[in-house]
Amino acid sequence: MSPQSLFCGLTVLCLHLFPGLPGTVVFADEPDAAQLEFFESSVRPLLIAHCYKCHSQDAVASNALRGGLLLDSRSGVLAGGDSGPALVAGKPDESLLIHSVLYTNENLQMPPDGRLQDEQIAILQKWVEMGAPDPRTSVPAGAKPGIDLNAARSQWAFRKPQRTAAPQVQNSEWPQQELDYFVLAAMEQRGLHPVRTATRQELIRRATFDLLGLPPTPEEIEAFENDTQPGAWDRVIDRLLASPHYGERWGRYWLDVARYADDQGNSFLTPTPTAYLYRDWVVQAFNQDMPYDEFLRLQIAGDEIPGPADNYVTRLAGLGFQSLGPQFRKGAAGEARAKADELEDRVDTLSRGILGLTVSCARCHDHKFDPIPTRDYYSLAAAYNGVEWPMQMLASPEAIEKHQQWNASMEQQTAALKAFRESQVLLTGKAALQKIDAYASAAVRMLVLRKHNLPLDEQQFAAHEGLELYFLRRWVAVLEKPGDEPVLKDLRTLATAAVTSASVAVSPELQLQGTALKSVVVEALSALDASQRPANDAANPPVPLAPEREQLLKSLWKTNEAPFFVEDAELSGLLAEPAKTQLADLQNSLENLRKNPALPGPLMPGIRGGGQAMRVFVRGNPEQPGEPAPPGFLRILSPPDTKSDAATFSRLQLAQAVTSPDNPLTARVFVNRIWLYHFGRGIVSTPGNFGKLGSPPTHPELLDTLAVQFMESGWSIKSLHRRILQSATWQLSSLQDPENMTIDPANEFLWRMSPRRLDVEAWRDALLSVAGTLDPAIGGASVDQTTPGVKEVEGFNFFTRLNGFEADNPQGRRRTLYSVISRYTPNATLTLFDFPEPNVTSDQRTATMVPQQQLFVLNSPFMMEVSRQFAKRLQSIPGENSQRLMTAWKLAYGRPPSEEELKVAEEFLLATAESGGTQDPLTPWEQLAHSLLASNEFFFVP
Amino acid sequence: MIFIRFASVIYRKKPVEQHVSGQNFFIRQAQQGTVLAQDSGPFDPPVSRRAALCRSFNGLGAIGLAAVLSKELLAAEATQSPPAANPLSSRVVHFPARAKRVIHLWMNGAPSQVDTFDPKPALQKFAGQRPETTKNLTTENATGGLMPSPFRFKRYGQSGLEISELFPEVARHADELCVIRSMHTDVPVHESSNWMMFTGSIQPNRPSWGSWLLYGLGTENENLPGFIVLGEQGQPVNGPSNWSSRFLPGIYQGSQVALPVKYQPRDVIPYLQNTQLSPITQRRELDFIQRLNAMHLERRGAENAMSARIQSLEMAFRMESSAADAFDLSQETEETLTTYGLTGAEADLVATSGDGGFRRMTFGRNCLLARRLVERGVRVVQIYCGKSQPWDHHSGNTESHRNHAMVVDRPIAALLGDLKQRGLLDETLVLWGGEFGRTPTSQGNDGRDHNHHGFTVWLAGGGVKGGMTWGATDDFGFMAVENRVHVHDLHATMLHLMGLDHEKLTYRYSGRDFRLTDVHGHVVQEIIA
Repeated sequence: MSPQSLFCGLTVLCLHLFPGLPGTVVFADEPDAAQLEFFESSVRPLLIAHCYKCHSQDAVASNALRGGLLLDSRSGVLAGGDSGPALVAGKPDESLLIHSVLYTNENLQMPPDGRLQDEQIAILQKWVEMGAPDPRTSVPAGAKPGIDLNAARSQWAFRKPQRTAAPQVQNSEWPQQELDYFVLAAMEQRGLHPVRTATRQELIRRATFDLLGLPPTPEEIEAFENDTQPGAWDRVIDRLLASPHYGERWGRYWLDVARYADDQGNSFLTPTPTAYLYRDWVVQAFNQDMPYDEFLRLQIAGDEIPGPADNYVTRLAGLGFQSLGPQFRKGAAGEARAKADELEDRVDTLSRGILGLTVSCARCHDHKFDPIPTRDYYSLAAAYNGVEWPMQMLASPEAIEKHQQWNASMEQQTAALKAFRESQVLLTGKAALQKIDAYASAAVRMLVLRKHNLPLDEQQFAAHEGLELYFLRRWVAVLEKPGDEPVLKDLRTLATAAVTSASVAVSPELQLQGTALKSVVVEALSALDASQRPANDAANPPVPLAPEREQLLKSLWKTNEAPFFVEDAELSGLLAEPAKTQLADLQNSLENLRKNPALPGPLMPGIRGGGQAMRVFVRGNPEQPGEPAPPGFLRILSPPDTKSDAATFSRLQLAQAVTSPDNPLTARVFVNRIWLYHFGRGIVSTPGNFGKLGSPPTHPELLDTLAVQFMESGWSIKSLHRRILQSATWQLSSLQDPENMTIDPANEFLWRMSPRRLDVEAWRDALLSVAGTLDPAIGGASVDQTTPGVKEVEGFNFFTRLNGFEADNPQGRRRTLYSVISRYTPNATLTLFDFPEPNVTSDQRTATMVPQQQLFVLNSPFMMEVSRQFAKRLQSIPGENSQRLMTAWKLAYGRPPSEEELKVAEEFLLATAESGGTQDPLTPWEQLAHSLLASNEFFFVP
Repeated sequence: MIFIRFASVIYRKKPVEQHVSGQNFFIRQAQQGTVLAQDSGPFDPPVSRRAALCRSFNGLGAIGLAAVLSKELLAAEATQSPPAANPLSSRVVHFPARAKRVIHLWMNGAPSQVDTFDPKPALQKFAGQRPETTKNLTTENATGGLMPSPFRFKRYGQSGLEISELFPEVARHADELCVIRSMHTDVPVHESSNWMMFTGSIQPNRPSWGSWLLYGLGTENENLPGFIVLGEQGQPVNGPSNWSSRFLPGIYQGSQVALPVKYQPRDVIPYLQNTQLSPITQRRELDFIQRLNAMHLERRGAENAMSARIQSLEMAFRMESSAADAFDLSQETEETLTTYGLTGAEADLVATSGDGGFRRMTFGRNCLLARRLVERGVRVVQIYCGKSQPWDHHSGNTESHRNHAMVVDRPIAALLGDLKQRGLLDETLVLWGGEFGRTPTSQGNDGRDHNHHGFTVWLAGGGVKGGMTWGATDDFGFMAVENRVHVHDLHATMLHLMGLDHEKLTYRYSGRDFRLTDVHGHVVQEIIA
């Protein structure tokens, strides 16, 4: 190596070690003529042909730059890209460029579309070895443009929301609420005018669907229409907000954001049968009007925040927001990548769902549009870095400890009882063993009598002989059976002879045999004692039991078949005092304990830990850690002077940062969501993106004022609903207006209520409700509500395969909220009707209108069933058809039929009946019921 | 039954946005109110209904009209009316499409490249050895030395493409095949690699490419689902998540049609049949429903979304007869059935494997159905071999490969020939392959393990060059080394052939833009004819 190239190498090394020091950049001498010639003839053409496409200023211009690496200038080469400097001059072996063209590292192979020829690689190696002489002097500009956080703070979304005084309007009669002034002013500015107010029938239908996701009953409509007292509308709102069905409706919207599901998308993980505890927690939080900031804190760090100490379901179930998120396959599929992807999901759900920012776009590169450097992604992700997802008991620490103590007592007492029984079983048999001669003799006689069918009072016989009838019977059974135990061979022979000769006398042979048995038994027992002496008894060390003795004791005593074996059930009857009482005491004590359990809470996935600092993953690749990312919240949402020297960033700190009143986004984003579900469109029409790529608010001052009011109200969601429903804006009719249509066809400025299609939950629930078959039960485990009659693909009923999700209600009459939501086998019908994807946070529903949906409406067994039930309900009404039709319209549409509708319906019933309607399984009334449920008016909120 | 099929994609005036962009599309449409002509009376007989639809199409947008309106009318509509609210209507493409439809023949379980389309004579020489360059290539299981292929390769066609004896029938179409021998993917795990092949991500959370195509291009026949997955009973690994639309609208999900040997065409698509009403009664009932809808609209003024639903109901009614027709194989001649290997003793061939097997009857029939479906304008047809992963030959590779190839060879060849004969192959892209390949080294005595480092797929028709190979694996067929093609690149290329720029086909979901290829993917220009 030449001195010059050594110098070069050192220079680059220095540059790398002290990148920030000005004046240390010392370039090598200008290349000499030979080097220049080599570079121009061999190196430059190669770089142009194979590298510039992705690594040059041209690539920057065409947005094709890869890996942040420029190879079209010397400084670009030296500065390197995301993975570090491209080369170490003079040292090909240490140069990334050389490694990548050699294809030695599977993760970094350049060019990506095929390895260079060996000669070409040799050229590059030679060039690096020469010290990478490079005449190209142009300095790359703007390859890595920085993000100016301070400048970004002036964007609307990053300024704190400010309350604005209601603007002046010309039509001062119209507004009813403060918000109406903002809306009307925007309308008047554009030459728009509000349409008329909706009718009471329309209002109560709209409000009931909006707040409960159900249609109003005819009685509720009538009551409202007849309520002429002031405050009638407020009473309707109060009644609806107090309904337990309110939380089912609004909780479900939150579950869209939380990408709630009852299982994982992978086949290697079983479903989470307790996921519903989080779903129910969300429903209850809405019903109780839990302050939104509290709602968020509990979901991010419920385990870390103090209190409420008395309710650990509240403390911990909310953690399902993240603990039920996707888990990915590890093992051969790559542990690091799976964990990095899980982390991205957590950051993504939190940032888009709560902050309206697409932070996870910065996982691989600085955010292209918003002020979120890659570093900030990893700073924020630290909150979830290192978390575990253990099954967590939803109970207080005291309750858990009590339960654990009870569990331990149960185990201990069960073990004690078992040990006592086992010792007594042996002792009882051992005692009887001493009388083996008597048992053998008596058993042979009893066997003879039995074989010859001679009467014998066995009870008396045993008592007379001074023996236990239980053992005696076992002895007879043993002798009766063929067997080859050596110890019993002679006795069996004798017994057979006695049976043959029908002799019940105690023969001398029998006596002799008894004595012999007894002596071997006594010897064996004393040998057993000798073998059980303590090992440390030096004077009398234990003597191992000879195998034949052990065998003998087994066949007479210790095995299940042995004559002196005591079966569990018989033990108590054979015991003498005090053992008998001891046994009973132990049993009673255990039974009492069992009857008085310290019950556990339910188990559900929770979170533990997190908060560990991360390094930036270069281009998102967890196998390439780069610069450290100081743990902490997004800098753009933190005060400008925030220090970034913390070692950790706990979830509690994250929760506090997210819910801080200084955070400009949290309240705005949520207020916008509530607005969206009431009007079908947010003030910001991109509820998950308040950044540059999102839409600007149509009514910025209104959004800010609502956000401030929301925080001032103690983050009360119900008061926000009230404010909106009491407004003249929300109460507008959904009628057309040709003049307004030409100015604002999309109704962005709210000159009317946009007609909205029911989402799939409200639609299905409404069908069941009108049919009179809806099961209004609230909460509980998720149910497989697969439409009755839908064919399962053979051999692949996911929920029966993975057990625990059996269809416990084949009729499927619970609210749609309670259906199993599967990531693994998405419910095709829910998907068809635009139910959101449960793998990724969802900010609003798409609304498609396609024929397959109508096939379901026209033909599905579910629709046939609800139509039949609806018809049955109508036909049970006494009187004329017209009365039934009146009820039908009120139930289905919340209004009476018009004259024309009555006439058309009567004609339809008649025509259907006349043309041999009996040939079709669906009766005329069932067809009519089906038609109402299949019609547009049923499908759209007025 | 008459099918109205368009000979070419209808190029509409470009929508406002530069590229096909996400959710805003629907929102924009839903909010566009136009005036509905009131003359489409629900009691009109079908013929006058059609006339009424034609008269009122301006007010309706192009909702569901593709199936009844002539090309000229639609072209006229394009100049005066905003783009359709219907997410399935044919849409503008980024550049002229080479292919209009795709048939994906998924050899689930993953066939071995060195036994099929990537001959490696060096395996003989180094049999049983583990050369240095292959030592650090780990796969799912530990494997031993190199195991030569027991199958002979021959050159076929003008091009002299080398194909093993396993595929004598497919080999007759050698000059149509573009064999990519340098495929690679991320991990040697079936589940993850299936998702990669189908969705471009190893995690189960992205839409299938079939859904992306449908979203990007719409369909040419709205009387059938635009993305159909054909199989037999039982699910392949991952099941429906392979063809889920995920966060794309549900209408873009793949419709799985898993049929036993014998089936009723009317039962094929969910809810296609009304078991409670005769067609005549149902028509009368639908007329009543539409009458109610008309009175509703009259009362409150026209709404685009409501009019759309009125049309959608009509289209559903038409689907009842037309969709069943597509699946009715009794319309095919004996000769055709024989070509697909569906007659005589051959029809009884069964591919047996420990992890599930499949039959010639079902696989061959699915190939024939695929032709009927693309012929009717279905955008994407995917066929899997059978439940679980039949091609996963960790042991007994030789016998199982022979047996499996025998079942699929003739139907695949028949499909290629049939498409060609009908002039459909030029516009239909056929993709053959597994989710990864298999090791050239042995697992156990005679098995091959999963191999994500290198594998082979082939394309045919639809604008690719035939009779060529692209890229190469190392000397042993273990790792792709030359002109490497990642699955992302395959996806980018397929979209390109369909007229879509994979970097511009984005969908905004909850404020974030998603792409099939995420931040990856290069179009392999060299294989495009």
